[in-house]
Amino acid sequence: MKISRKYFRTLGVASVAGAMSLTMVTASGASSGTLAKGAPVKIGISLSLSGDFSADGQAFQQGYKLWANDVNKAGGLLGHKVTLDIKSDASSPTQVVTNYQTLISSDHVNLTFGPFSSLLTLPAAKAVSRYGYAMVEGAGGAPSVFQASLHNVFDVALPVANSLVPFANWVSSLPKAKRPTTVAYVTSNDPFTQPQIPVAQAIMAKAGIKAVYNKVFPSEVTDFTPIADAVAAAKPQVVILGSTDVPTVSAFMQAFEQSGFSPKVFIATAGPDQGATFIKAVGAANADGVMVPNSWYGLAANPQSKKMVAEYIKQYGGTPAGVNADVAEAYAVGQVVAQAVKATGGFDNAKIIKYLHSGVSIPTVLGGAQFNSLGENPKMTAYTFQWQGTKGNRFVQVNPLGDPNTVKIVYPKPVWGK
Amino acid sequence: MNSTALLSAAKDGLLTGSVYALMATGLTLIFGVMDIINVAQGILVILGAYLSYALQVHWHIDLFVGLLITIPAMFVVGIVIERLFVGRLKGPEKTAMSILVTYAVSLLIEGALNMIFSVNDVQLQGWYVNRSFAIGSIHFGYIYVAGFVLAVGLLSSLYYMLYRTRFGVSVRASLADQTSAALVGIDVKRVSTICFGIGVAVTAAGGMIYGATNSFNASTSYDLISRLLTIIVLGGMGSLGGAMIAGVGMVFIGDMVGVIWSPVWSSMSYFIVLAVVLLFRPQGLFGKQAVRVA
Amino acid sequence: MLEKKNLWWLLGAAALAAFPLIVTNPSDTSIGVFTLLFMACATSWNMFSGYSGYIALGSSVFYGCGAYTMALISIHAHMAAGAAMFWLVPVGGLVAMLVALPFGWIALRVRRHTFVVITIAVFFIFQLAAINFNFTGGTSGLALPFIQWGFSYYNVPFYYVALGLVIFVTFVSAGVRRSRFGLQLLAIRDDEDRALGLGVKVTAVKIAGFTMSAFTIGMAGAVYAMFIGQIYPQFVFDPVFDISVALMAFLGGLGTLAGPLLGALILEASQQYLTVSFSNGSLYLILFGALFLIVIMFMPRGIVVYFKERVKRSAATKVANLAEASGPATISSAGGAPS
Repeated sequence: MKISRKYFRTLGVASVAGAMSLTMVTASGASSGTLAKGAPVKIGISLSLSGDFSADGQAFQQGYKLWANDVNKAGGLLGHKVTLDIKSDASSPTQVVTNYQTLISSDHVNLTFGPFSSLLTLPAAKAVSRYGYAMVEGAGGAPSVFQASLHNVFDVALPVANSLVPFANWVSSLPKAKRPTTVAYVTSNDPFTQPQIPVAQAIMAKAGIKAVYNKVFPSEVTDFTPIADAVAAAKPQVVILGSTDVPTVSAFMQAFEQSGFSPKVFIATAGPDQGATFIKAVGAANADGVMVPNSWYGLAANPQSKKMVAEYIKQYGGTPAGVNADVAEAYAVGQVVAQAVKATGGFDNAKIIKYLHSGVSIPTVLGGAQFNSLGENPKMTAYTFQWQGTKGNRFVQVNPLGDPNTVKIVYPKPVWGK
Repeated sequence: MNSTALLSAAKDGLLTGSVYALMATGLTLIFGVMDIINVAQGILVILGAYLSYALQVHWHIDLFVGLLITIPAMFVVGIVIERLFVGRLKGPEKTAMSILVTYAVSLLIEGALNMIFSVNDVQLQGWYVNRSFAIGSIHFGYIYVAGFVLAVGLLSSLYYMLYRTRFGVSVRASLADQTSAALVGIDVKRVSTICFGIGVAVTAAGGMIYGATNSFNASTSYDLISRLLTIIVLGGMGSLGGAMIAGVGMVFIGDMVGVIWSPVWSSMSYFIVLAVVLLFRPQGLFGKQAVRVA
Repeated sequence: MLEKKNLWWLLGAAALAAFPLIVTNPSDTSIGVFTLLFMACATSWNMFSGYSGYIALGSSVFYGCGAYTMALISIHAHMAAGAAMFWLVPVGGLVAMLVALPFGWIALRVRRHTFVVITIAVFFIFQLAAINFNFTGGTSGLALPFIQWGFSYYNVPFYYVALGLVIFVTFVSAGVRRSRFGLQLLAIRDDEDRALGLGVKVTAVKIAGFTMSAFTIGMAGAVYAMFIGQIYPQFVFDPVFDISVALMAFLGGLGTLAGPLLGALILEASQQYLTVSFSNGSLYLILFGALFLIVIMFMPRGIVVYFKERVKRSAATKVANLAEASGPATISSAGGAPS
């Protein structure tokens, strides 16, 4: 027994020494910013290709791929071809953590892009920051992500809490005779939707618009009829729906129609921004008048955006209005990182993080991206969009008022079911 | 809140609850006759819904007409599962094993459904899904009323079968006591297989109504099966009447809590009611007193 | 025989202890941490459900309570991010035990079949409470103090703490099995009414066993929270966790000591590798379900019992053959009676 104990101890010491030398080698590999000439630059991404967020995950994948194609056509990043290493995380935080560790330590990616959803961004960013990598992402914008004060997270999309502000301002600015008097706030208890409601409520309450229904429903609900019935029974003139996907919005609209209820103004925080998917779910006639806040849409005047949309349609078909905003967000992530790489002359993550925090404004398909110390992009404009027309639905920008691209709002919304 | 809101919630609870009652009755029948807890019942409901979806999208067959195809199809699916897996379980650990076996089967079906239909949420459509008629200020959606009628109709047929046919006598005997039933010459094995088939066949109808009133994908089955299990336990495992009353009751309570208090507590009220009832009546509302299990 | 069995256990423990020293790739050690946590939970679950026959499908309640305890205390006490947080792990276990007492008291009044469902119901109550109450952070969950250890050794302390949990609960489980208390649990499994008739305080024994099994699961939850750094209600109160833990014990061998460890090792490690390799999540579900079915149909008592019986049977066959060869049958083949 004595002999075997000593044997194990020596073995232990030897393996620790071996392990330490191994880690020193890998450590030096991870933080160097240079690549061998002709070697491709690998970008690691964990996406929700199955599970709850898969529809958005797949749109993100399209955006990332589109960007990679464009960059490679123009000669690559600093002459290196871009390859994307995408792993599926099934919308699970445990898997996301394992994925990014695998991407960095096994696959030796040089850069990392973000996953979809605020739920996954935080654990991913923490895992990635231990390696000193930057995490530029386009969809984890809930306040909780930034409350953690991680230095390496950068969100190119609009911080969510302020999304409804232009809309609320517009409603409050209507002349007293035309202004609605009652409003219903109904939202899913999701970190993306819930923060938007109190902000909008404060503005509308000041304008004297009374809240006749203000409830939260669990995100896992599948039968919205009882909730919609309760909203309808309160007879609000404005309905603000905190939703995260098309099925929720379409279910509410269907239930409202069944109850014979049609509000004068209807806005949903997500769903109507998903283009063709939304129209198909609710029907062209019903989409008329429905509004949604967002930081981008397919017909945006931004020249970079127009080019990207044209390429998207060439590859995947469809119409400009039908392009999912997730695609643009993913594309913008690529653009931000590409600019940082160019400016710092290499792939050193520490330099990239410093550059992105320097207050520089980077042009993207979403507009100018300028990050504050928390990694938010607060200067991003919040737009409100509305579907107009019953046959050839046009998705138009109706807010902010005074913006040259703003079109007149259709108010009141045409009655459903007629 | 006003009376319209309350009456609406009550209406929703009763109509939707009848569909849950239908699905739960199938589940409790299977347990009563075979001592099997079919955890796959949730995913089978979704399978029934997807079948209706496929018929409608590819062959433009109306949802209700499609039931003529899906109900027999699901009956066959049930028989197959019973013959291949469930029927082979025996021994004192049978019930516990059945949970695992049916769970494994549900994983298979879930994976297959994801591959065939993708994970995107879908919902069954039809001209009647958006329409409604009004009685006073309360609106009754066509599809909900149709679902209610269908559920009542199928449950009545089930009762007719149980109480007016010879096969029904065999089933009731097996429900009461399998050993004695076997002793008087009832082919308990055949009864079991057919009952499993019936228990699954009702998921075709339940699935169609569920799919027309909810958006769903394969993972919706988890929420479904947990509700169905709590319903049959509340009603008393093995009691058909109990499943029906508990099914309607649970959804009704959930909807009323949602409108009076908040939808956030609707689901929780389900489970709290169950916990409270079981505190005072461990066998459920109409269940049998626990006896020595051989 | 005793010596040989202990040697196997020692070798297993040594292999596990040496693993992170040999395999240093963080993604592998990360999988190792999760696997060890599941091994501890499956063994702890088996300590009650395996020995008593009361299949509990709500163990995630304890996992979640441990996780939230770790998160809430470390946040509100403004703890410095680092090794000091490990002291909260046993606190998480204690909180889980406190929850198990009323939980067990309500749930154990019913018989086995109903018990399963009521554990599911209580689980959902907890999950919904975590989602809907403010102090738990709701759906945004809770972010723990950010531990800034370097990537090359971040996983290692967690690995050894998890290994410690596994060793701890294995010892406890073995001890219970050999004790009078363990015998009482087994008696309840075999025939509860007879046990009651023989004077076993059935309800007290059941509640005690249930509460004991909650301790390690709660500790595992606390370690998980510290490891990931961010917890969400739907992931620490996870119905899939409930089923997985039960599965692992069944796969390995319900009621045996090595069974849950083996089951967890196989299932968790293969699940993580499968998900990474098969980016298509649905294929993995099909494979998982099929693997499962095969094991249940062919090895219904679990892998450990299956192999033990085969060994016994082949030994018995050898003895019988020897006896036949050597003369008239005087030795009856000792058919392997299940343990």
